[in-house]
Amino acid sequence: MSIATKLRRVRKPPPEGWDLIEPTLEQFEAKMREAETEPHEGKRKTEINWPIFRIHHQRSRYIYDMYYKKAEISRDLYEFCLTAKFADAALIAKWKKQGYENLCCVKCVQTRDSNFERVIECVHCGCHGCSG
Amino acid sequence: MSMSKSSYSQYNRKNWEDSDFPILCETCLGNNPYMRMMKDKHGRECKICERPFTTFRWQPGKGARYKNTELCQTCAKVKNVCQTCMFDLEYGLPVQVRDHELQIADNIPKQGANRDFFLQNVERTLGQGDGTQPIAQIANNMDQAAHDRLRRMARSQPYYKRNAPHICSFFVKGECKRGEECPYRHEKPTDPDDPLSRQNIRDRYYGTNDPVAEKILNRAAAAPTLSPPADTTITTLYIGNLGPNGPQQVTEKDLNDFFYQYGDIRCLRVLTEKGCAFIEFTTREAAERAAERSFNKTFIKGRRLTIRWGEPQAKRAADNSNYVTPVPSVPILPIPDGLAPSTSSQQRFTGSIPRPPVPPTFSAPTRLVVPNVRPMKAGEPSSSSSSIYYPSQDPTRLGAKGDVIE
Repeated sequence: MSIATKLRRVRKPPPEGWDLIEPTLEQFEAKMREAETEPHEGKRKTEINWPIFRIHHQRSRYIYDMYYKKAEISRDLYEFCLTAKFADAALIAKWKKQGYENLCCVKCVQTRDSNFERVIECVHCGCHGCSG
Repeated sequence: MSMSKSSYSQYNRKNWEDSDFPILCETCLGNNPYMRMMKDKHGRECKICERPFTTFRWQPGKGARYKNTELCQTCAKVKNVCQTCMFDLEYGLPVQVRDHELQIADNIPKQGANRDFFLQNVERTLGQGDGTQPIAQIANNMDQAAHDRLRRMARSQPYYKRNAPHICSFFVKGECKRGEECPYRHEKPTDPDDPLSRQNIRDRYYGTNDPVAEKILNRAAAAPTLSPPADTTITTLYIGNLGPNGPQQVTEKDLNDFFYQYGDIRCLRVLTEKGCAFIEFTTREAAERAAERSFNKTFIKGRRLTIRWGEPQAKRAADNSNYVTPVPSVPILPIPDGLAPSTSSQQRFTGSIPRPPVPPTFSAPTRLVVPNVRPMKAGEPSSSSSSIYYPSQDPTRLGAKGDVIE
């Protein structure tokens, strides 16, 4: 979904500081579009999804860092981004917990009932282990 | 997932299956005694009756693919098969083979309300008993001959190759990037023209059109009996698969005790080193009877004995050129046990008595120098110094000739 569509959904104009982050967010959009339209040749079925999860993580990470780590955007803008779904609120909630700061995706924490013993490579996102 | 209108699935949820261990054959369980199995209550629909059932999933040994149960317990019990591989639980044979031999033709309904009704009755019967009694036509058959035939067709060891992972489809195209860690097999795929590749669960379960079953039945029809040799003087049988040398090996006494029922045994010699034996009967009829009755169905000490006709004596002797054939004009001494040749189709006595002189056949001894001095007389039992075996025995020769390098 393009940036314009997301903005339209929120129904209010972005708060100040939006111009700082907008170019980066557009780049993320472009990357995501590329990942979505890649051909599936030569990849396993599970492997196709990995770039999507990766970019999703990166984008959320960007917004998280801007607010919590570098404090370059205001609280209003941060919350605006969350409601416009530029970042994944559930994922960020995990990042605030001790030990989960580098969590790859929310799915990896949820599958406690499946039989993973040694995770060489997570099936959902293709990460090789996200704990520090 | 087909949801037939009269399907049992939507209704009767309280009666959906809930079991705590699957009905499996040895092969499907695998060779690892430590196994972790996942249970999923109402995980899938049964592939035959399309009702939800408890699925189990496990890895049958190291390097195997994960297997899971495909049929529900009721369907498995109706046909007495394993829930995953659908081979018979007792013999490991396809349903079609077993039904053909036991002459079961039960015509189980395959679709619709008919099927659901049948299964409902089956479940009721199972519920009334303790769930271990055979139902449908399996219960009726106690035919010993058919049982023997099935035993013979069956495998004796579990066949773990069935649990191998599937072929890596990327590898087939040449594109597998996982390399060492790829869990799928990197081998040539099987030929798609092969009729064995066109198998289908319903056919296998109901016992119709099963290519594997047809192959087994054809093979069984092709070589079931041991035909007696044309030479009617032969009364010797070769017995193989006695086992490696040691206390587990089938002994002479075991063989004697088994074979005396067919007739008088003239002589029985066991070759412990080779794990085989030769038994000779006094009469030809006894030998034929023994061969027919014991071929492919004699189990002693857990081993199935290989029975064949012994080869005629003369032919055996000619093949013996590896070993010492008695040389005339050489005194025959008892050979120490370790050096005795193991060919005993020739008529030998057991024990370490000196061998009776065997008439030498010199048609084509490979390692022996054929002396061209005098024509050989075959069939001369008493060795005399007039028959020459080696050139040096020739009294007219002087010294070594032709074999000294100047």
